[in-house]
Amino acid sequence: MKIQQMAFMLIAVTLFFVLVGMFFIMILFSNVKKSASLLEEQNALLLVTKLANSPEFSCQNVFGGPKINCIDSDKVMALKSNINKYSGFWGVSGIEIRKVYPEGSRIECTSENYPECDEIKLISGKGTGIGNFVASCRKENINNLVQDKCELAKIIVYYEVKK
Amino acid sequence: MEKRGFEFSFGWLFAIIVGAFILFLAIYGVTRILDTGRDVESAKTGKEIGILLNPLETSFETAESVLLTMPVETRIYNRCEEEGFFGRQVIKISQKSFNKWKETDIDIGFKNKYIFSDGFEEGKNFFIFSKPFEFPFKVTDLVYLTSIKKEYCFADASDEVKEELEELKQGNLLVENCTEKSINICFETSGRECDVIVNENLKSVKKNASIVYYETDALMYAAIFSDKGNYECQISRLMKRTDELLNLYDEKNSILSGRACSSNVDLISFKSIINDIQNSEQLVGATAELNELEIQNDRADCKLW
Repeated sequence: MKIQQMAFMLIAVTLFFVLVGMFFIMILFSNVKKSASLLEEQNALLLVTKLANSPEFSCQNVFGGPKINCIDSDKVMALKSNINKYSGFWGVSGIEIRKVYPEGSRIECTSENYPECDEIKLISGKGTGIGNFVASCRKENINNLVQDKCELAKIIVYYEVKK
Repeated sequence: MEKRGFEFSFGWLFAIIVGAFILFLAIYGVTRILDTGRDVESAKTGKEIGILLNPLETSFETAESVLLTMPVETRIYNRCEEEGFFGRQVIKISQKSFNKWKETDIDIGFKNKYIFSDGFEEGKNFFIFSKPFEFPFKVTDLVYLTSIKKEYCFADASDEVKEELEELKQGNLLVENCTEKSINICFETSGRECDVIVNENLKSVKKNASIVYYETDALMYAAIFSDKGNYECQISRLMKRTDELLNLYDEKNSILSGRACSSNVDLISFKSIINDIQNSEQLVGATAELNELEIQNDRADCKLW
């Protein structure tokens, strides 16, 4: 009878500790998810301020000398058609460039309608977006005269929140 | 006389065995949780370092330096992988706990980062500086990671290099007043003892009895701060990225041609040279083509970069 009581007691104690352990593991992993989301957010925040200066986007010396926060939209359209190679390259879930001024009607850019469009969706945005204002420049032929055309745009970087 | 001893009943035996088993399980569980916690912390730190490198993306031909401070003694392992379209920069973190290095199996990878250092850098404080790599257009920013414990002496470097390092204000890159523990970087094989020999005519860097070659100052620093394996692997990754950027410029050229704004830059022959580069020695052979491409782009009505 005593052994039976002791066995039950031991099972109860074991179960209690297992439950406590599981509770701690749950807390630990919820913190991990929180940290992962925070890191994704930090990555997107820091990336969005510098992405326009990376070689796949930047104007470099094309529009009269070096410029910061300037996107060469012709190059970005070329990038759009090669985007499958850049999967996971910047570690974000989406990248979009949206024309802000002059205001358009949010027509998505394709190789057919470019440059008569307002949005270049490089990686279709999922999750939370963080934006930064940039100049979006291209070469334009107006009356057989090639000119630089720059517009105000917003580069938006998306990151996924871990649930 | 009555003998009274300790009675070791089945109840006691059962309690001891089960108790020991529960204790073992508890200790094992706690150890596993601690290990997982350490792995998580290591992964988090690795990712944080990668994220902190984002602001080092420079806009112009300038170098930038930042100080990275870790809470405890840390080893930052640097590994380079060549597979895929861009290869991968891998960082692994190992931290000291109770005077012992705790190793983890967690690797954090980045496709858009290029870190140059020895196999691992050890310390609590690290200097990170970056410099754009242009070939002839900007390809990326190279990142140089050094522990604050390591001092590099550039006493006989060219004025240009010295000026750049002075502007950088990075405490472990000395241009004068070098100490005995400094790693001597010799630009001329003058009488002094050299740890690294830079030959600016041959564009080569000799370190630990192995020679690597460079093109542009950005790669010269890379060769000085990293080991041969890491350097050659990163060169291969850089050529892959250059190749992909050439694809973008080629496509951009087609877009511009549609607007009667062609550039006449011979990207195809340069692309074949890039594809043939298998190691740093072959980099030097591309110099003439590199200069020619730059001239063609500068002369073009519509520049590609």
